[in-house]
Parts: sequence; C-alpha cells; structure tokens
Amino acid sequence: MKAFKFVLLILLLPLLAYTTAHKFYVTVTQIEFIIEKQTVQIISRIFIDDFEALIRQRYDENITLDTSKEEILIDIYIERYLKEKIKIKINDSIKNIVFIGKEYEDDIVYCYLEIENIQSINSFEITSQILFDLFDEQQNIIKTNINSKTKSFILIPQNYKRVLNFN
Amino acid sequence: MNKFKYYFLSALFVSFGVFAQEQEPEQPERKPGHINQNKFKQLYDEFSTPNMFRAGSGAPGPAYYQQQADYKMDIVLDDDKERLSGYETITYTNNSPDELKYLWVQLDQNMRARDSKTPLINTSGFSGVQRASTFTSSYLKDRFDGGFIIEEVSDINGRALPHMINRTMMRVELPAPMQTGEKFSFNIKWWYNINDHVKDGGRSGYEYFEENDNRIYVIAQFFPRMAVYSDVEGWQNSQFWGRDEFALTFGDYEVNITVPADHILDGTGRLTNRKEVFSKDMMKRYAKAKKSFDEPVLIVTQEEAEATEKKKSSDTKTWKLHAENVRDFGFATSRKFIWDMMAVKLENKNVMAVSLYSKEGNPLWEDWSTKTVASTLISYSRMTFDYPYHKAISVHAPMGMEYPMICFNFGRPDKEGNYSDRTKYGMMGVIIHEVGHNFFPMIINSDERQWTWMDEGLNTFVQYIAQGDFGKLYPAALSEGHDIFPSRRGPAKNIVPYMGGNQDFIAPIMTKGLNTYQFGNNAYGKPATALNILRETIMGPELFDYAFKEYARRWKFKHPTPEDFFRTMEDASAMDLDWFWRGWFYTTDYVDIGLKEVKRYYVVPATKERIEATAKRFNRTVEELPPLVYMVEEGSEEFTEDMRTGSPLENAPTLKEYLMDNFTSEERKEIKEPKYFYSVTFEKPGGLVMPLIVEYTYADGTKEKITYPAQIWRLNDNEVSKAIASDKEIVGIIIDPDLETADIDTSNNSWPKEEQKSLFDAFKNKIKD
Repeated sequence: MKAFKFVLLILLLPLLAYTTAHKFYVTVTQIEFIIEKQTVQIISRIFIDDFEALIRQRYDENITLDTSKEEILIDIYIERYLKEKIKIKINDSIKNIVFIGKEYEDDIVYCYLEIENIQSINSFEITSQILFDLFDEQQNIIKTNINSKTKSFILIPQNYKRVLNFN
Repeated sequence: MNKFKYYFLSALFVSFGVFAQEQEPEQPERKPGHINQNKFKQLYDEFSTPNMFRAGSGAPGPAYYQQQADYKMDIVLDDDKERLSGYETITYTNNSPDELKYLWVQLDQNMRARDSKTPLINTSGFSGVQRASTFTSSYLKDRFDGGFIIEEVSDINGRALPHMINRTMMRVELPAPMQTGEKFSFNIKWWYNINDHVKDGGRSGYEYFEENDNRIYVIAQFFPRMAVYSDVEGWQNSQFWGRDEFALTFGDYEVNITVPADHILDGTGRLTNRKEVFSKDMMKRYAKAKKSFDEPVLIVTQEEAEATEKKKSSDTKTWKLHAENVRDFGFATSRKFIWDMMAVKLENKNVMAVSLYSKEGNPLWEDWSTKTVASTLISYSRMTFDYPYHKAISVHAPMGMEYPMICFNFGRPDKEGNYSDRTKYGMMGVIIHEVGHNFFPMIINSDERQWTWMDEGLNTFVQYIAQGDFGKLYPAALSEGHDIFPSRRGPAKNIVPYMGGNQDFIAPIMTKGLNTYQFGNNAYGKPATALNILRETIMGPELFDYAFKEYARRWKFKHPTPEDFFRTMEDASAMDLDWFWRGWFYTTDYVDIGLKEVKRYYVVPATKERIEATAKRFNRTVEELPPLVYMVEEGSEEFTEDMRTGSPLENAPTLKEYLMDNFTSEERKEIKEPKYFYSVTFEKPGGLVMPLIVEYTYADGTKEKITYPAQIWRLNDNEVSKAIASDKEIVGIIIDPDLETADIDTSNNSWPKEEQKSLFDAFKNKIKD
C-alpha cells in the first residue's frame, strides 16, 4: 500500500512545466561504490532555483547562484547544508562525507561528494532530507549502484531513510 | 563495382553457412505459437478505423464537421471585491449529423469551489516537520471560496432553461431537440471570486502588489464555455481537475469589458472602440507602432504607468473586443501596465507583437518581450502557416499560460533590475512557448484534456526550432559565451535521464495528460525530442517539414486527433512510420543499441581437406560443389598467423576462376579487391527500434558514417550482423557518435571498448587543474 501511495503522490503533483502553476520538487542523487578505488562517489542533482531559494532563506539573502560571483562562499553553504542533510552509514558506522565541489548545467547544480576508504559494503543506510525544510512536496530520488546491484527509490519527508543490505 | 561486391559477398556467405551448420542442433522443445509481436507491425489495432469524418490519409474526411459557439458578453471587473461578473449570450450551431437533446457547458472555475473534488483526488500525508504556511493553508484556513455562481440560464426570451450542474460541467436542456444545421441561443448570468494565482495557484487570477495596493489581473476560463461535441467523443465528458487543460469549440466573440477607468486592458480580438479608450498620444504612438518593424513603440510608458498606479480612479471604462474564429477568450488588465507594440512582417501579411508588463518586469521586458514575440511568430509561421490573427500579446505574470492572441509569462529581475541568465532565458523560452501555443492548440485545435502531448509536445518541438531562430535573429539576446540559445528540451541527449529512469514512474506518451507521471518529461520533453529525432535523424528536415506543414494546413481551425497527426506524417512523406509511433508514443521503451562483437576473417586457400569436408557435410561429391571461397576467423582453432599474408585472390584460386569465367576483362579491371573482412554484430538491449548509425574509423585516419535504416531490426529485435569487406583496415567503430538517438547507455557503443570516464572522475580531474 505504501508503494502505491508513492506512485499517486508523484502522479498528482504537477511537474515543472510551463503551463502548470506548481513546480515539481525533486532532486536526484546517484551513489556508486567503486570497489577498485575503495570509494563511494555521490552526485546530487538539484534545481538551481530551489537551491538558491534555500540558501537565501537559510544562510544569506544576497546569494544568487550561477553568476560566477561569491562561488567560494556558496561552496561553504552548500557543503554545510549537504553534510547536514545527507547522512550515510556503511556497515553500521557513520561515514564522513567529503564535499568535492559543484558545477552548474542548464537549470541544475551538480554537487559532488565522496566517501573514501571503503573496502566493502555489507549494509548501506542513507538519509536524505535535502530541501525538506523548504518544500513539503520535496522528493529526493536516490539511485544506487553498489556491489553491481542497482536500486532506485524515493525519499520523502514522511520517509527519509533507507537501509540496503547486501548479504 | 557494387555488382561485384554483391557477388563477392554472396560467395563469402556460402562458406560462412557451411561452417555455421557444422553441428546438428539439438531438437528444441516446441514453443507455443504467438500473435504478431513484431515492432514493425502496423498500428491497425491502436488506430481507429478511418471513416467519412477522418480519412485514412490523416486529413479531414468528406463528412468532417465541427460545431460552432458564438459569444456576446458583458463583463464587469470589481477591483475592490476582486470579483468578476458577466452576462453572456451563446449561439450554438449544430453542424453534426446528430440530433442534440441537451448542451454541455464547461464551468472551469468550479474546480476552485469549496465543494470541488480536486483536493480529494490528491493524496497527502503528515511528516515530522511541516512548514507553518502550508500547515495553515491546508488545515487551519477555509479553502478559497471560488467557483461560479450561476444566477440565470435562460432562452433569448428570458424564460428559464432547466439545467443541472455536474461539478465543472453544466447540462442545459433544450426546449426542442436541435437538428443538423440549427442554431440555438441562450443566456447565462454568472459571477465568481477571482483567485490570487500567486498564493492559490491557477492558470488565471490576479497578482497582488502591496505597494499602492494594486493588482495585475490575468483573466481566463472566466466564462461558462461550450463543451466540444465531436465525431470522436460525442459530448466531451472529461471533467476539469486542474492540471489537464481544455477542449474548446471555435466561434466568434463580441466582448465588452468594464474595468476601472485608469486600467490598461488588452485581450483576445480586435479593439473596436480604440478612440474611446485611448488618449490622443496613445493613438499617435499606436499609428507609429504599426509601422515600426525593428523596435517596439511604447503606447504607455513606464513613467506614465508609475504615475497611474499611485492613484485610483472611481470611474469605469468599457473596452470592446471582437474576435473571429477563436476557441477561447482571455484578457489582462491593471493600472500598473506599461504597453508596447511592434509590427512583424510575415510571408504574406503584417501582424503586431505586443507586450503588457509592470515596472517590476523591467529592464528585461522592455528589452526583450516584444522582440521575442515577433521572432516566435516568424518561426512558427514558417513551420506551419502565416499567423492568422492580427496580434499576439505577451503579459508579465508569474506563470506560463496561453490563450488565443494572449499569453501570460514569467521572468522577473530582482528589485535592483538585475537578472541572471536563467531568468532571462527562462523568460524568453516561456514567451516563445506560450506564443507558440497560438498554433498548437489554439488554431490546430487538438483536445488538450485527452492528449496533453498533442499541444505541449508539438509546441515544445517547434519551440526548440524557434529558440534556435531567435538566437540567430537577435544575437544580442544571448549572453556572453553563448552562440546558440540554450534549449533544455529538444536535444536527444537531454531526454536520456527520463527515458532511462525507473519504469515504475514512466507512462507512454499516449496516456491521458492527467494520468501521467513526470508531466513535463512525458507531455513536453519526450514528444518534442521524438519529433526532433524524427526530423533530424530519421526523415530529414525536408521530408519532415513538408509533412508537418501539411498536418498544420489540414487541421488549421479544426480538431485533430493523434491518428490524424500520425497518418498525415506518413501520407505526406511516403514513410511508413508505424514502428516509430508505436515505440516512442505507445510504449515506454528506450533506446539502447550496442556493439556486441567484431570478428575479423581471412580468405584461405581451398585445400583438399576443406573441399572434402564441405562436400561431405552437404552430402555432395566434390564435383557437385559450386565455386566456394573459404574463410577463417581470426583467433579460431583453424587460424594460423600465416593466414594474414596474401591477398584474397591469391588465397582463393576458385574466386579467380569464377571471375575469369563470369566477367569480361573490361569488367575485371573495374573490380576492387577488398583486403579486410569483418563480421560486426550489433545488439539491442533497448526495446526501441532505431536506425543503426555507425561510424567506422580506418587505419589511415579517415572515417565513414553509415546509417542502416531501422528496418534492419525487422527480423531480429535483439541482434543483427553486418559483413564488411573493406580495402582499409578498420581500427574503431562507434555507434551513434553524435548522440542523436537518445541511447540511454553508451558504454556499449564503441569498439575497441572505450573506458568511459565517469562524470564524477571527470569533475574531480577538472577541479584539480
């Protein structure tokens, strides 16, 4: 029944589109475990508009993204925010997430994060609350590729955590 | 030369066959039969049967008809109460062959009524944390009190007509059934509270400005409108839930709109009392604007608008508009409006590009709105037909919504007048999109409520072309470092994340708009991309544009269905595209084509053992065998290094003999001698069939691109092979080198396999530098 609810929620929330009044609030986070490099690579795609609104409300009214201005300050805010809102536990221990950087493409900001020195993954727990403090309708799509298994799921304010077991 | 190649290859294949059949396959278990599941199966099951109303060619049939609804309306805006009221007389003409017992009228405002069922079909849930504002509007406050109050439904003699309201539709009983060709006139008196579209949402309403207590009204779906009666649906019976748009009947409109005397108003139709509502200065400026083709002329300046918005007139003024052959009516009114206009030259006529905006839109709007409108009209006219109306208006309002001759568009600089590239391109993009809607669906009048993609998809496709044109016509509109207008929707690669995404949240394009996931990608992005691929990769612009234009011409001021579009595109191009429509529009399949393997072959001498082994296998004597060429695969058991040497003719004396026996010496001189033989196997993990676009790179550095038509997949949907005989060594093969097919996985697209650098590593490397 829960899965069904998800589907309906997505179905009924109008998407970002020119002739719709409401935007569709969604981020996509891709997580990949590269076993040869013993690293977990994370790319979060977030709409620039949404992220800008967040940074303005949360940190600094005067910030405008994607103008090549104050990018160092913006990096600090983004890092602080993402580290607060994305939590990852691997094999039951909280991991330190390193913010590598961000870049803009069209209307999306790509944020690059990494967890280093991971030899193996037996269990993987992710919490993503990105933008939940700004939009109630926010949905965060997570796509994982761990131990050659791909999974895709959606985290929403009512259900913001997921545990994957690989045993 | 080709002839030779053919013989040569057929000779090769004989020998291939010989080796392939070496072992008798095990008798497989007998599979059950099946219906035709071929990807190239005709769409007879999906399409409706052609009839007298709609022909198999995709054109309107000999008995095609459409109804007509003409309106006379007196509208009054009460700015203090934020209320709109009207008295309208609808004259309905029954052109159908059917007898009509009742009429259905659309009451779209009822979607905002307190008893609306729209909130009931939207699921919801609580989370640990919720924003106070959403919490308040959802659970503490009463819903906005919207919806039509219908005060009167009467015939032209004022006698009440029985009627029944079913949510957003009203059935009006006719005194006597309407026969073919008959007209019936009736009156409706109504009013409703206007919504704040910024706070409450909606495709019309007002935006409130605290400074000077002012509003910009952008008004639409504001009057009871005739539902469509057609050969396809009978009476339209799909209610308005809010997201799905409209199906509307063409007709003529005479509309008198009374607003505060200090308002500036424009809307659908020709202003028939210009002298009554324009000042002398405005008349002069208007005359000038009609001759200005390069720069917009201000009819109301910012200075004038700023002065007006500081006071409030208690008088009223009535603006009279007359429109012919439109499917709807919209208008915008405010005392905040700045107004500019510019003439636009189309192929056979001149029209006006118009903008209405408040000071909050400047400097962006005075610089670019009207020019964007002008460029859009030129592009769309080229792709379809000359814009048939006399003007197109772009109004500054934080939404994107279209009505005949008028649309409401977002894009606002900050308080200091600064704006980012995103705001600028967003504003230009939305204007191009919404002005483009004049063609789809305002004139090529598809049923938006059933098929969102027919207006949004087709329009987004032409928008992509128009955005390219706009960047060329007005290079100054582009930011530094850009030489083309950045388009989000249209390029094949941009649809990859959607089409390669989770199948649980993807619906086929041919799904009713209300019921699709990821509305923007489903109804806008994917169909636009599909048409772009069809134009650039499959049909070529010349064939495509002719057929597309023919569709537009055939269905101008008519009501097309999806089949009418699909059929016309085939009818006018001599291309059977059923496979394309089936895959892209009727399924959620995606493109994934890859290289499975490349094998190299060498021509080897016809030794006694080889000949005898072959004869034995075919149960023939050695003498009975036709001339055969023997080949060995590189790396196979039989392969030895010395096979690399020698030319095919030297190694295959039978081939030499065959040539001597069958060709004159003249012909033999023409014969080319390929030295390299490959068998290339392509695989198709994706469900969509697409042309196989292959770029071969040779040892001398030259490249050759060969496109095998999609039909190459007709007998095997999983993998196909090509035998290649070349006089140059192949060193690399890439499938879809220019990313024009929306292939969702390009990691299998090259030989030798290219180590793909991940996005992550690429970024990491970039920031190291």
